[in-house]
Amino acid sequence: MLPTGVQSLKYTQESAVLRTTRSRAWLVVLACALVGYPAVAGPYMLGVFSHMFITLMAVYGLYVTVGMAGQINVAQSAFVGVGAFAAAKLSGYGLPFFIVIPLAALMAGLTSILFALPAARVKGFYLALTTLAAQVVFPIIILALPMEWLGGLVGMPVEPIRFGTLTLGAPIHFYYFTLALAALLTVAAFNLGRSRFGRAMLAVRDNDVVAEVMGVPVFRIKVMSFFVGSLFAGVAGACTAYFLQFVTVSSFTLFASVWYLGMLIVGGAHSPLGAILGVVFITLLQETLHDVANTLMQSGASGGLLFALTSIVLGGCILIALIFEPRGLAHRWAVLRTTFQLWPFPRN
Amino acid sequence: MSGVAHERTVLEADSLSLRFGAIHALRSVSLRVDEGQIHAVIGPNGAGKSSLLNCLSGFYRPQAGSVRFCSKDISGLKPHRRAALGIGRTFQGIQTYSSMTARENILSGFHARMRTGFIGGLCYWGAVRHEEETFTAKAEAIIGFLELEEMRHAVVGDMPYGIRKRVDLGRALALEPKVLIMDEPMAGMSTEEKGDLARFILDIREGLKIPVVLVEHDMEVVMAISDRVTVVDFGEVIASGTPAEVSDNPRVIAAYLGGAKS
Repeated sequence: MLPTGVQSLKYTQESAVLRTTRSRAWLVVLACALVGYPAVAGPYMLGVFSHMFITLMAVYGLYVTVGMAGQINVAQSAFVGVGAFAAAKLSGYGLPFFIVIPLAALMAGLTSILFALPAARVKGFYLALTTLAAQVVFPIIILALPMEWLGGLVGMPVEPIRFGTLTLGAPIHFYYFTLALAALLTVAAFNLGRSRFGRAMLAVRDNDVVAEVMGVPVFRIKVMSFFVGSLFAGVAGACTAYFLQFVTVSSFTLFASVWYLGMLIVGGAHSPLGAILGVVFITLLQETLHDVANTLMQSGASGGLLFALTSIVLGGCILIALIFEPRGLAHRWAVLRTTFQLWPFPRN
Repeated sequence: MSGVAHERTVLEADSLSLRFGAIHALRSVSLRVDEGQIHAVIGPNGAGKSSLLNCLSGFYRPQAGSVRFCSKDISGLKPHRRAALGIGRTFQGIQTYSSMTARENILSGFHARMRTGFIGGLCYWGAVRHEEETFTAKAEAIIGFLELEEMRHAVVGDMPYGIRKRVDLGRALALEPKVLIMDEPMAGMSTEEKGDLARFILDIREGLKIPVVLVEHDMEVVMAISDRVTVVDFGEVIASGTPAEVSDNPRVIAAYLGGAKS
């Protein structure tokens, strides 16, 4: 809902993501806060944030495939892995990062098409199983390939990013690097929702039988939703590779895929804001629990018990979030904002 | 009536036969829709009306017969290709995209007319904005035509039934169709809503010059607005002609009221 006095002179202004001066001002505040954060944060927290930005990229991809097109994908982590291995291999050839990252994204996208072709013919649980196959096959293929290709069980080192004479190695470098990329992908994710391709995916999600008769090539759009979602995953994978400076199959598990889905669902699958809120909520929750557990451990509690407890608390928090807001945090945010704007009048 | 291709013929089904196992849904059914016509297809439940429509829009592949559109054989084309050529369609019941707004529903109907791909969608550069601008203006014209102005930004899932049916019609018009197929548009509507919709259908024929194929059970509406009526029963055409001719036909009366066939 918009405050009074906001007018549009063109139709595209109506679909703009930020309509009011106030919302633009808030974005500037957020940007300044993120840019200034390294001044107050230690290297550990910078690492946590870099990891959060990378996770966000992968979850944006899921927002496209699952949120927009309604195609369940439990193999996002495998597509991130394809991007990571592609980046590791390509960086080994001495290619610069601005060539490696797009190529890694493309590799992830093309791989996903391979699995999307059969997947686009099935729905629901069957689709979940088909993508599960992609997740399971991924490490098997990497391990089965000759060691010299992708490192097999050992993994592969990654050549660091070089800007002229500067080599990216310190946490603060990665913080700014992943922040910039995440910002870029955020713009892309928000753009998609107001475009022809985005509407076609929503049409396929809402009613694929009708979409076909309305001129939307449903099969093509389903496959493309996997492709585009995996482009995001590929960028996330390339960043992971540069960030960790080493890639192994054990980093890209089904567990991670399920977490990505969990973040999207907790945040709200129907908007990029949901991806942001879900990733931030769960990452911060994990970190807080981690901190608490560390403090308790120093005062003599048993490590095994604490590990189990943090998992239970984490799961409990997610359950509570879902019970009170099954449509995701983004929906709750929209409701709260409307209530605030309408105050003292009731909503509806 | 088949085989005589008029210059004005827009959509023509020629001897369509459709079987599901032992059931003959259609037996050699022919239908010709000319420019400027509202062509009603009527018949008792299970007569094969919907099967006929589904053959026209490409859901079903008939075992025999052909469908021609603007003198081109489209029998082998998939539904989305037929839509792109200009066969618009509305549906029985509620079949709008419920999470989108009325305007987005209508904009999605322009899919086949727009060009932006996924890269343009991700980057949203100048040309993409320009295209959005152009087609939003077209969508607004449809919104104006169907008197949906107040609802343009409302989410369709929250709308009452009658308005959703109007959005469904708007989305079909966004295909810029050369023929519009409507499957039971009046079902479940109040008398006022039926009146509005009948007015829109007449406007579509007169103002937009789009011929309409209308499957409908409401005889009052059919007899009032149709130029031609084809009656289907047990998968066969039993009568075809003006509303007056058809309503006097003894086979039609028998099909509707039961009793011995003449």
